[in-house]
Order: sequence, then structure tokens, then C-alpha cells
Amino acid sequence: MFNKVLIANRGEIAVRIIRACRELGMQTVAVYSEADRQALHVRLADEAHLLGPAPSRDSYLRIDRLIDVARQSGAGAIHPGYGFLAERAEFAQACVEAGLIFIGPKPSSIASMGDKAVARATVAATGVPVVPGTEGEGALRDAELLAMAPTIGFPLLIKATAGGGGKGMREVQHLEEMPGLLHAARREAEAAFGDGNVYLEKLLEGARHIEIQILADNHGNVVHLGERECSLQRRHQKLLEECPSPFVGDDDELRQRMGAVAVRAAQAVDYVNAGTIEFLVDKDKNFFFLEMNTRLQVEHPVTEIVTGLDIVKEQIRIARGRHMRHTQEDIQLSGWAIDCRINAEDPYNHFLPSTGVISHMILPTGPGVRVDTGVYPGFEISPYYDSLISKLIVSGETRGEAILRMRRALEEYKIIGVRTNIPFHQRLMDSHRFMGGQYDTRFVEERFSIEAAEEGKESQADIAAILATLVAHEQAQRAAHIIQRGERDTTNWKWVGRWERMHR
Amino acid sequence: MKYVTSIDEREFLIEILNDRQVAVDGVVYNVDFESLSDQPIHSMLVDNRSYEASVYPSDEGWQVLLRGRLYLVQVEDEREKRLRASLGSGPAEYGEFHLKAPMPGLIVAIPVSEGQEVVKGDVLVVLESMKMQNELRSPRAGKVARLRFKPGDSVEQKATLLSVV
Repeated sequence: MFNKVLIANRGEIAVRIIRACRELGMQTVAVYSEADRQALHVRLADEAHLLGPAPSRDSYLRIDRLIDVARQSGAGAIHPGYGFLAERAEFAQACVEAGLIFIGPKPSSIASMGDKAVARATVAATGVPVVPGTEGEGALRDAELLAMAPTIGFPLLIKATAGGGGKGMREVQHLEEMPGLLHAARREAEAAFGDGNVYLEKLLEGARHIEIQILADNHGNVVHLGERECSLQRRHQKLLEECPSPFVGDDDELRQRMGAVAVRAAQAVDYVNAGTIEFLVDKDKNFFFLEMNTRLQVEHPVTEIVTGLDIVKEQIRIARGRHMRHTQEDIQLSGWAIDCRINAEDPYNHFLPSTGVISHMILPTGPGVRVDTGVYPGFEISPYYDSLISKLIVSGETRGEAILRMRRALEEYKIIGVRTNIPFHQRLMDSHRFMGGQYDTRFVEERFSIEAAEEGKESQADIAAILATLVAHEQAQRAAHIIQRGERDTTNWKWVGRWERMHR
Repeated sequence: MKYVTSIDEREFLIEILNDRQVAVDGVVYNVDFESLSDQPIHSMLVDNRSYEASVYPSDEGWQVLLRGRLYLVQVEDEREKRLRASLGSGPAEYGEFHLKAPMPGLIVAIPVSEGQEVVKGDVLVVLESMKMQNELRSPRAGKVARLRFKPGDSVEQKATLLSVV
């Protein structure tokens, strides 16, 4: 059985997997691109191998290179993490063919769940409810989609067949705008997944996005680890997750029903290892299958905290052929966990990604705080990969305690050098709707604005004014040593003209 | 040294008296100001109350991130204020707008063409960075000029992509 694992990923998740391997006493093999020589996962692993140039397609997406590295290093298994090759059946297949263990499901399960249309048809056949949409066929042409759209009803979603993470997804309100949006969705899907196929799905209003974590071993045992609430999203990218869901709350009957359906969906594709079934839940607690993620999720730590299980270690044990140590009765939820995704994005400027060197960083610590990150001061956030810097996860006995703890931790967390969405999370923690658990998947985009949230708050403008003045003063003093003031040799008008030309 | 510092509509007259004292609108405070290890992060004790903030320069003024809230602050010394008053409004109001890449990335699409009239909010360029497609929009109405790139080009941060005149 293997005792050396190759981690085919980067960033915080590569670090997370290395930690699990360490705790299990396994050797770790990291891989990296030319942009990532200094990355934390390279520093932490026992071995590190260069894959190729910075763009993902030349490095982290190179199946042939990964298999070569595994052979060279003597790794017996590959953990794909999330993103990159994690949900590519041909990668899992290539591992199997090379005699390597893929820490994840069988290639056939990935393939059937990976094509969203096939997944919906498979799951619907077992009696699991699905959101109305264009099921079954993967490759419909625009004309066919346009013809089917009115029968599904508006508003609806265009989604990438090979999709995930909100890419290749567009919302349609009227038939007239659909051709343009189809074009944009296909373009984005083609760029992100190399597959421009899309399907349609009814947009449920006021719906929540709640998912069930499952674990399945090679011996037919499948358990679910309860739900995660993932409704707080922007452009279909999750921003914050909670476990349990404040919507499900004390309704253990609903939780067990959703869990049982998730287990059935997993069994329908003969699933092995960790996976997640995503549901949309309407306000009357009707739930519909959305899709299955055949991999470890970004937000897995909230479930780990509330169940006490280490999901990544469980994945490795399952891959080694062990029997699951837990029955469904053993799985108990206790306490509350919240995860804030800290992204290199400027919340004050349309969440534009921010790149640069992290010059300074203070991590929050203290009771009930966990930070999963792959960066450190001096590390450069490059434009090549996604903008996730870290996950800040807190736990509490109750949801209230977790929220207060998250506020405290966000206040402590300082990242200098790139802009982050920490202020966004801070405003969210202050929001009454959030505190009351009253939010759906549209909340962030439609009913929450960071500017409005700041408006009513107690202002410390005077303190900010003193700070800015002192910084400006220091700078002026320094500049005065270098150049005497008022010695510009041209008029201000000429200077303005030159300045404008220079900045064209 | 006297400064006129403004945040939104509020003005503060701030006088730096010496290393330890600052007067805000005539009220004197004891201020202990430290820049932490040469970073744009500052610690300030105002009459022993402790504050920590990051302060960045930007095109529109100083950005102060204090207790999870962003303030945009204009700081002018008295001479600058007089100069600006004599000039009237700044050149930015009638000048051209130059769209600059807010981050390095790959141009995915340019839905406008040279000479095309646009209104505020129109998408000028779709730029992909960090696996996200970002729509860069026009902040004002005008005519598109000096397109410098085409879809498929990689651009550096702050590269001027096009102008709106």
C-alpha cells in the first residue's frame, strides 16, 4: 500500500493535503509551476518537482508531466485537491493506467457526474428530485435551447456542461437577451474548460444553496456528514459557508432526508471517497438536486469542525482500502462553524482581482480560529491562478458565538500588499439579515452593498483624517529633502499638459 | 505645518504642532504615531487610545483602512488648497479618460470599436485575470479612441488599453 502521496495542486489546498499526509506519517511530493517556486506547498513538502511554465495548461493541467513525476518520485497515490484536474475523468483514468491510486472516485463516477446533464438524468432516474431544465443531452445548439427556454420558464440559468465555480454561467430574464448571453456563456466555458457546451436550468427564486458532504469507502459503506450552507455567493462564487445551515437548523428530519437522498445519489454512480451533493432548497423546504462535486470541496473545514472528522485523512484512508470507521449513527453535529473565503479582490472596486507581493501579514489566532492558507509575507499573488488567499474558519458553541468570534478574527487579520475582501466580510458580520440567518443565493448581489452597510456605522473620520495627514506629512518631509519645492522649471499649465500626455 | 484634510463633505483643519501633538480644528491631541516596520501599516495612540490602520496612496487621494472601513481622504497643505481654488475644478473633469488595466491579464474581448459612442457603464474591455473574466466599464459618456490591444493580447498592470474622449 502506498505511503508516498503526490499532491497535484497548489495554494492552500496543497498545504492542507500535505498536513494530512504528515499526520498520517506519509511522504509528500509537491509539484509547482515556474511562478510557484517559492510557494508554501513547495517549502513544506518532502519533495518538489517543477512541472513547467506559469500558465495552468503548461503546468498544473499537464497530466503527462504529473504521471511522470509520480513515477520518478515513487509516489503510490495522487491527491488532486480541487479545481485543476480534480474532476477530469481522464486524469483519474491516467492514474489507474499508470498503476497509481487516485485519491478520489472512480473515473466512471467522475465522468457521469462531471457532465452535468448526464448527472441530472442519472440522479433523476433514482427518484431524486432535480431542478427543471434541459436534461439528458449534453450538446444542444443555440436554436434548440432557445426553443426549449419558454417551456422551462424565465428567469433561467445558462450553465456550462463541464462547469463549476460560476464560470460559463449566465442568468436570463427574457428570451430577447438570451442569444447574446448564450454566446458569452459559451465563450467563457470554452476558455475555462475547453468545452463550450451549455444547458438550461430554471432559476428558483428565494432559494438557498445547501450541500451535503458524503464519504464512501470501497466496501459499499456510504455516510453523510450533514449539510453546509453556501448561499452567500457573488457571481455564483461562494464567499462564506456555515455548518450547520441556519435554515435547516433544528430540523433534523430535513437534514436526514437530504442526507439519505445524497447517499442515494452517490450510490447511483457507484461512488467512492469524499464527495458533495449540492441542492437548491426553496422556502418551503422542498429540495432539488443541483449537481455533485466529485472531489474535496474548498469549504470542507466547516464540516470537519462540526463533525470532528478530518475529511482529507479519511480520503487517504479510504484510498488505502480501509473500511470506514464511522457508521451514520456515529456522525453527530456539535457546535457551529463559519468559513470566510479571503480573496485578493478589492471590495470597494467591483471585486476586481488584486495582484502583488504580500509585504506584511498578521494572522488571527486565539480560541476557535483556524486559518488554511498557502501564502506568507513576501509571497507574490500572481495573475495566473485563482484569487483565494486563505480560508478563515471559526468555531463556536452556538452560531452567535461563531459570528462574534469571526468579527474578532477578521479585525485581527492584516494583509498588506494586496487588496482583500476582509472589509466585505466585516460588513457582512454586522448585517442584521446575516445575523438572523435570513439570506438566499441572491442576497449578496441584490440586497447587500458594502457602501450602504458602512453608511449607518459610527464613523471615525477624524482618526482617519489624522492618520492620512500624518502619512502625507511624513512623505512631504521626505520629499523636501530630495527636491526643493517650487523649483519646477515650467508653468503649471505646461506641466499639467505633459502629465496628461504621459498618462495616456 | 497646517493641512486641510477632507473626507466626503467634511473638512478638518489639522495642524502638526510638534512630534507629539496635533491640533484638529483647534483641539490639541497627544499623538504617538508609528509606522510599523516600513510597511503601509501604522499604529497611532491618540490620548492613549490605540488605533491601527493601513494607509495607501491612490489616484483619488489617500485610502485609509481603519477598523474594517475604508475612508478616502484628501490632504492638502494651505498652499495647495489656494492653488486649486485659483484653478477651479481639476483637469480630470474635462480631460480624457484612459482605461488602464487594473491588474495584469489576458484580453478576452473588446466589445467596442474605434470611434464608437459609449455611455457611462458600457463594457469597454473584458479582461481575464485569476481565472475570472472582469468587465471594465466606461465611467462616462464619450467616444472610444486609441484602441491599443486586441483580444488574445496579454497586458501588464496599468497598461493603457484605450481612451474615451
